[in-house]
Formats: sequence, C-alpha cells, structure tokens
Amino acid sequence: MLRVENLTKVFPNGTVALKDVSFEVEDGEFLAVIGLSGSGKSTLLRCINRLIDPTEGRVVWHDQDVTAAQGKDLRRVRRQIGMIFQQFNLVKRSSVMTNVLSGRLGYAHPWGSLFHRFPAEDHKRAMAALERVGIVDKAHTRADQLSGGQQQRVGIARALMQEPNLMLADEPVASLDPVLAHSILQYLELLNRQDGITVLCSLHFLDLVHRYATRVIGLKDGELVFDGVPADLTRQRFKEVYGEEAEMVTVGGNLQD
Amino acid sequence: MQTSKGVSSVAAWQAALFSLLLPGSGQFVLKHRVRGVGVLVAILVLLGLVLWGSAWALLAPLLAIWLWAAWDAFQLGNGRTPGIGIPFLFGAIIVYGMGVQATEIQPGRLVSGWPSMLPYLKALTQPELFEYPTEDVAGLVPIQVPCIDPLPEPDRLPTEDPKLTINTACTSVGDTVHVSGEGFFPNFEGEIWWLNPIGDVQRVIVDGEPVVFTTDENGRFQIDIKAPLAVPVTQQPGPGETQTHTIRAEQHRPYGSLQETQTLSLVLEKIGETVALAFMATILGVIFAVPLSFLAARNLMEGNRVTRFIYTVTRTVLNVIRSIETLMWAIVFAVWVGLGPFGGTLALWLHTVAALGKLYSEAIESIDPGPIEALRAAGARGPQVAVYAVLPQIFPTFTSFTLYRWDINVRMSTVIGLVSDAGLGFLVIQWIRLNRFSAMATAIIAIVLVIAILDYVSGKLRQRIIVGSPVTREISPTRRLLTRGAFVLGFVLVFAWSWRVSQIDLVDLVRGAPDGWRLIKAFAVPDVTDRPVEEQLVTAVLPVPCGSGESSISSISGARVNLSLSCGDVGDPLIITGHELPPNTDVSVRWAFADDAYLRIQSNCCETDETGSLRLETAIHPLMEVDPTSERNAPGQVVITWDEVVGGPQISESLKTVFNLSLVTLLMALLATTLGAFFAIPLSFFAARNVMGDTPLGRAVYYAFRTLFNLFRSVEPMILVLICAAWVSAGPFAGVLALALNNIPNLGKLFSETIEEIDTGPVEALTSVGAGRLQTLVYAIIPQLVPKFLAFILYQWDINIRMSTVIGFVGGGGIGQQFRLWVGLNQYSAAGTATWAIVVMVWSMDYLSARAREKLV
Repeated sequence: MLRVENLTKVFPNGTVALKDVSFEVEDGEFLAVIGLSGSGKSTLLRCINRLIDPTEGRVVWHDQDVTAAQGKDLRRVRRQIGMIFQQFNLVKRSSVMTNVLSGRLGYAHPWGSLFHRFPAEDHKRAMAALERVGIVDKAHTRADQLSGGQQQRVGIARALMQEPNLMLADEPVASLDPVLAHSILQYLELLNRQDGITVLCSLHFLDLVHRYATRVIGLKDGELVFDGVPADLTRQRFKEVYGEEAEMVTVGGNLQD
Repeated sequence: MQTSKGVSSVAAWQAALFSLLLPGSGQFVLKHRVRGVGVLVAILVLLGLVLWGSAWALLAPLLAIWLWAAWDAFQLGNGRTPGIGIPFLFGAIIVYGMGVQATEIQPGRLVSGWPSMLPYLKALTQPELFEYPTEDVAGLVPIQVPCIDPLPEPDRLPTEDPKLTINTACTSVGDTVHVSGEGFFPNFEGEIWWLNPIGDVQRVIVDGEPVVFTTDENGRFQIDIKAPLAVPVTQQPGPGETQTHTIRAEQHRPYGSLQETQTLSLVLEKIGETVALAFMATILGVIFAVPLSFLAARNLMEGNRVTRFIYTVTRTVLNVIRSIETLMWAIVFAVWVGLGPFGGTLALWLHTVAALGKLYSEAIESIDPGPIEALRAAGARGPQVAVYAVLPQIFPTFTSFTLYRWDINVRMSTVIGLVSDAGLGFLVIQWIRLNRFSAMATAIIAIVLVIAILDYVSGKLRQRIIVGSPVTREISPTRRLLTRGAFVLGFVLVFAWSWRVSQIDLVDLVRGAPDGWRLIKAFAVPDVTDRPVEEQLVTAVLPVPCGSGESSISSISGARVNLSLSCGDVGDPLIITGHELPPNTDVSVRWAFADDAYLRIQSNCCETDETGSLRLETAIHPLMEVDPTSERNAPGQVVITWDEVVGGPQISESLKTVFNLSLVTLLMALLATTLGAFFAIPLSFFAARNVMGDTPLGRAVYYAFRTLFNLFRSVEPMILVLICAAWVSAGPFAGVLALALNNIPNLGKLFSETIEEIDTGPVEALTSVGAGRLQTLVYAIIPQLVPKFLAFILYQWDINIRMSTVIGFVGGGGIGQQFRLWVGLNQYSAAGTATWAIVVMVWSMDYLSARAREKLV
C-alpha cells in the first residue's frame, strides 16, 4: 500500500506546487492523476520516488518511510518503483539495449557497470522485456532512430528491468498521437492486471481515464480536489478540476468506455 | 503646430536653436530624450575621433551632422520624424575617413609595390621539389663599404680559381659594381651572393630580380650589380671606418639523377613537426579542458555559493586566456622557455584549454536532463548516472569539438613559427629573410596543402561522429580487442613521437619559471600611470694619468661619490663608494668622458643599501686616459645617476600608445571587413549553385569560384600579411590588405551558401502575383539575404579584431607590432597594458556584435 500524508512542496522561488495532499493507494490499483498543466501532477509523482524532496509530509510505501530514506536505502526504494516519462528520457545516442539495461543499474555491480558489464541474466531479462513491448528487433538500434511510440516502449522496458511493484507514469502519452496513446496504456494495463503492479499515471484526457483507470484523483493548484472512481467523474466534476473553459476531448473514437 | 509627443510648449524654431547650440538638446526638450542623447553622444564620439587624428577636413561632415541635428529638432517640433540616413552617412564618412588615414591606406602603393611582389608570385609557380645533385664552383672577392681615404687593405684575399674581379675596391650601398669572373663552368648560369662582415648571406637583387649571370664558352662572365643594404644593425661602422664585405659568384651544375631537394626534405620534416605540435597541444589541451569544463558548466555549478564562485572564476579565466591570440601567447612563452617547438606547444595548449573548456562546458550545459532523472528514478548511483546518462550525451559533441580544435591547432601551428622557431612558419620567415623565394614558396604551398587536406578530412570525420552509427554492429570480442589494441598502440606511438618532436621539456618550464613569474606579474599590473622623473647625478673627477687635471667632487644635498684614488693610471684598482644616496634605489655607475660619451662600469648595477650607500670595486678603464689629440682631452669623471620622481602621477606613455594603437587596430578590422564584404557580395553569386544554373558554363563558373574560395581560404592571414608587407611595405595598410584578401573568400563562401539556402516559397508567391524579376529580387530575395549577410559580416568583424591584434607581428601594423617590440625590449608591463587593452577590445566587440546579431536573427 502507498500512503501519501499531508504532502506539501514549496519550491525555492516560492511556488507552492503541492498543498497538504493526502491519499492512499491499494496494491493493484490503476490510479489516474488528472489536473491542468502546473497543477502539481508531476511534482506529486516525483515526490513519491524522491526525485523531488517534499517540504512537508510523508510518503510511505509498503510500511517504509520513503521521505526519510537516505543513500543506499533510498536507492533500494527507488529500484522497486519504475517510472516512465512524457519525453521518454532515453539517452538518444545509446542503443536500445543499453537504454534498457540501464534500468538495471540499481541492482548492478557499482564498479562493473561503469564499464558496461552486466550479468548474462540481465541481458536475457532485457531481451524478455523488449519482447514484451514488441520491439525485440530494435535492440541494437540507436534510440534516436525510433518513433515516439517505440521510444516510449523502450521506456517501459527500461522500467520493467527494475522488476517494480509500483509504476509511476508522468503523462506517458502526452507526446504521442491518439492511437499510440492507447497502445502504450494497454501495456500499462497489462502490467497492472497480469503482474499486479500498482500504477500511478497522470493523464490529460477524460476518455483515457474512463477506459483504463480504476480510481482517479484530481489536483487543482496543488490541492486534492477529487478522489473517486472514474464513473463519478462527471462532466461537472471534470470542470471543477479543469476550470470552466475546459471542454472534454475524446481520444481515438474507436474505443468505447 | 503641436508636436505629436504633444505637451511641450517649445516651438520648433526654439528647439532648432537649442540643437544648434548644443546638439541633441532641442530633441531632448521636445521629449525625444533617447534621440537627443544619441545625437549628442554620436557627435562627441565623432569629434573625439577627428581630434584624435587631427583630420581637420573631416570637420565638414561633422558640421553637417550638427546642422542636421538642428533641422531634425525643427522637424520634430513640427511633428515630423525624419529618418537618420543622412547623419549615418556623414558619420560613416568620418569613421572611414579616419580609418583610411590611421591605417595609412595608399592605393598607389598597390601599383608601385607590384614589382617587389613579382619574385614572390613567380616563386609560387616554382617550388623547389626535386633537383639533380650538383657539382659546385664559387669565386669570392672582398669589397669594402663604404669608401674611405686612405682605404686599408681588405682583411681577406680573393679566390684564385675561379677568379672574381671587381672594378673598384670599395663602394657604397646602391652603387653599381662591375663584376667579372673567369674559370667558371662554361656556358652555364650562376648566381651572385653578398656576404656581410658577420657572415649573413643574401642574394643580390637588381630591379626586383635576383641577379643571374651566364658564362661564355671559356667560363668567363661580366655583370653589373648594385651593392645591397647589408651592413649589420649591431655593427655599424663608425665615422671614418669601413667594413669588408664579400661578393660570391657560384654555379651549381647538375649531374646524375633527380632527387628531392634539401628544401623539400626540410619542409617534409617540418610538416611532421607542425602536425605533432598540433596533436600534442590538442591532447594535452583536452586533458586539462575536460575537468575545467565541468567547473565551468552552469547547470552543474548552480548548487551553492562556493560552486557558483568557482564557476565564475573558471569562466572568467578561460575567457581572458581565450581572448588573447595563440600567437601572442607564443611570444610570451618564448620569453619563458625560449624559442622553439616547446614554447609553441605551450601557447597552442593554453589557448586550446581555454577554447575547449568553453565549448565543452556549453555542451554540458545543453544536455537533456531527462535521462539523468530516469536513471536516478531507477536507483542508479552518481557514477552510474554519469556513465550511462551524461557521457553518451556529451561524447559526440566533445569529440567533434576536439577535432575542430585540432583543425585550428594545425592551422595555428603552421604560422606559430613566424614568432617562435617551430613548424612550417619558421621555414617561411627564415627563407624570406634569406631572399630564398622559391624555397619560401615551397613552404607556403605545403602550409596551404596541409590545411586544405586537414580541413577536408576533419570535416568528413566530424560529420561521421555527429551522425554516428544508427545500428550497433555485433562484432566478435576478439576482433573488438584487436581493433581497440591497434587503436591504443597507434595512439601511444603517435603520442610518444609528438612528445619528442615538440621537445616538451618540463625542466625548461621550471627553469624559466622566474622569468615567467616576472612576466606574469608585470602583465597582471598594467602601466596605467607613471610619474615624471628627472635624472639626478653626482660626479667625481678622476684625472688619468695624475697631473692631467684637478680632482674634484660634486654633490646634491649630501649625496656624493668618493673614490679611493684622487688620480691614477689605466688599470689601477679603484674603489668607488657612494654616500647618502636615496636608499634601496637602482642607480647607474658610469665612466663619463670629456666628449660626453659614457660607459657603464658594470651592467645591471647597482642598488644602494638601506642607508643609501654603495661600494663598487673596479679598475680604471683605458678610455679614461686623457688623450690631448682627440676630443677626450680633459679628465673623465666617475658618475652616479638615479631617477628622482618629480610631480604627481600622470597617464603613462605606454597607455597613450596603447590607446592610439587600439583605435588603429579597430579601424584596421573595420576597413578590412568592409573591403572584404564589398568584394565578397558580388563574387558570392558566382559561387551559388542555384544562381549559376545547370548549364555547362554555369557549372564551370560555379566550380571555378568554389575552388578558388576554398583554396584562398586555406592561406592563413599571417602568411598573407608577409606577402602584403612585401607588396605595399610593412604597416597597417599591409594588415588591412591581408585581412581583406582573407575575408573575401571566407565571406564569399558563407554568402554563397546563404544564397543557396534561399527559401523559394516567397519567390514563387511573388511570381504568381505577377511580379517582375527585379521586383522579386527586391521583395523576396534581398529581405532574406540581408540579415544573414549582416550576421556573417559581424562574425567576420569579430574574427578580424582578434586577427588584427597579431598581424603586427609580421609587419601588419596595429597593436601587435608594438606588443612584440615591448616584449623584445623586456618592457613587460607596457606589453601587459597592450594585452589588457586587447582583452577589453575583444570582449567589448564580442559583446556588441553578439547583441547586434541577436537582433538580426
């Protein structure tokens, strides 16, 4: 179980990104985080694996206080938590294989890995991960040669190398076209259903939330303004989160919710 | 009528009157404040420029601007805003007029100097590559310069076989001497050389052509030559003295089979040295630049105050070093470790560290932080993040920058020899001094070839590195090991060879450290002010021999000099003591003779102790002896002199010189850029593929211009300066000419590429609305070209500023010439003043042109 308690983040320039946010996520949930750009979604996800240090509050993952962890402990927590990014965050000049293997760095030998030495089972694991996301043939291609959807699949494969039980996805489909968006979210859904990985995913489109999420939280100006199941997220509630001018946009009309 | 800016109650004619009295004030009271201040500042700056050059004729355009300011105020008062084209034009007339005056541009010299250029140009078509081995014969005859009466016997004899005779035993510089010889190879050509008393050799030149004689079938010849200026600077003959020079006639008759000339083998050897120097400087530069670049990367050093401080210091030091040209560093290091490859390597290395440090740090600043975040999220450690997320991102850019720098280093090391005895440039300057034009031409051609080839290869290589290989090929571990091993081995071998060739000698570096330290100290503290000094002296008369005069001493407020003898003979031991002199002061102790000549008793002497006393043991100098037959017919004196400060601090002479020369340097760069652009713009259209079309003629013209541009771009400006100095004689004009000749192909290439990249969309659009050819040119093409052309011109102006600080080293005038002179005279703090002026000049112009370019693009 992931417990977020009274999380507040104030940046050095005075911006209040999160205001006293608290919620809990049961294992196996697919939690969608919605809200406008700048509402604090990214900050929230990054506070969970401590890429950003919260100003106040606690994050507890499986009874371990993530906010108190330091050094080795912190890395140990982090390697259980996979993360994928809007801009994929691949090393563009490195091959797909190297990018995927780099997801294993939290487990790898601290010195051997500096010379690109990985155990044979890591290579096997990497091939398996690539097979799972369907791009095993691209293993030795340089990352910048891939399309956006393929790059995000490499991002997922890299996260899979961590053998995570929690997956943070920071707007994973915002840089992709609608059809690719569904295919990426289907992979996440698969991980959620088959492997029982808890997923926290920030999303922009209501129909994607309805289609994939088991639960939704909404952030507005850093405050938690909605917490419920997708079915409760009516047009009215949606406007509360996104503001009066927001219009609901559907993505990829071929899929029904 | 009310003004558009409204509320002012000042009438138009009043504003005009204001501006007539004080330019800009009328605009100011009309609330056009920026315009008013701008007018005033512009007029003051231009006035300063005119006064500086005392170019009174240029007061006329200045007056025109002044009147325009009044008219402008009148128009503004009436609610109209005139354009600023007119004052701009007059301003340009003043600036360029000053430029022409300050850089001593005399187009006539292009014509009158042409004959002295011919040997250079002819030589370029006749490089010394291969030759037949020769059997040699030489005849010598002494000749005395100048003629005196009576003429002493020459101190050497003419050769007997072959025999050389001259029609006069003595001559003056420029006079004709008739030379005849016998006993030479028959029916064969030979050369005449002139040797001065200290053994310097030069080819005898008449009317710009080296003298060549041809023997008849009996091995005799006759020829007229002119006595060249060959008297050594350090050993001028005194009045009534003469020196024995030698005329040498030599023939080299080939036999056997062709072999490479000594010139060619020397050139080949120096090509190696050039490349080795560049290699060494680049590798050592990288080793130092990589760690520094991390300290100079803003994104890594934002952390806290300490790291920000380190960042600022590193950046500033790198920038200062970078704004001083490599050639200038070469002169500095020549003082530190002596002339030779090592000093050259150090200079290249230092500039490389600064330049690469900056480029690398910018590469680090522009990396994508995403992957770093991703790996940290996966639980990776710091070093792992560096290896997997940072290195792959910076490696290609670093390698590409390194190659680019190595390219520049090879270019620089071809010319570094012009000031430091290393590489191909050394051969060029050496052979120019010896008037061996065709040998010089061989070296110049080698330089151009080396640069052109390297340019091409490294361009290709850089492109490959940036593109990289999109798919990782699977290669067997053994093969990988073999290729890596070969690579490492090759690198080590090249490195070891370069180390040896560049004569890296750390002992020299340490041994020269006191000199270097003195240099740095003097450089760091520029000569901004000095205080006027007056020479003070105390004397003691010393009659030699005794009885030839009265002994006496003079003193100033207690300061005096005492001698252990009141009189004596030549060679007698003498103790000189000074009393109540200024304490801890450098003084000079001299023998002073009755004819006002003097001689220091000891060089680098002496300093008084803290009580102002001084003691020196010597013996009476032979020249102190009274000689009634000469002007030295009265007793000599022992004199102690020192400088005493009178009056307060004033702006130092060196600062004034530096200020003047900085202006000259700026004007040189301005004129060169203007001239370069003026010729490059029309020429560039011939080198643009889309303009020349696809006809056979068009293609031929296109390729011809492209090739010419590329070829001339490979001729380093420093080499051009050498040639231009021969053409229009050394000075700022030669510098301007050389820079302009270098700018034409450089700008031409950039311009033609811009023309090729024109967006055809607007042309299409205008054609579709029925516009004519000229209309399309004016509305669709020129607006696209102008901003880019201007940006390139500004960029070239930046480079020209830097170049114009060093072209003076080889006869291009400007501040570089003075810098080299000062370093040569050990006046390091004056040289330091020049250096700081250069730093300021380069920085401010860099800043201005960067701002201007931002606005353009």
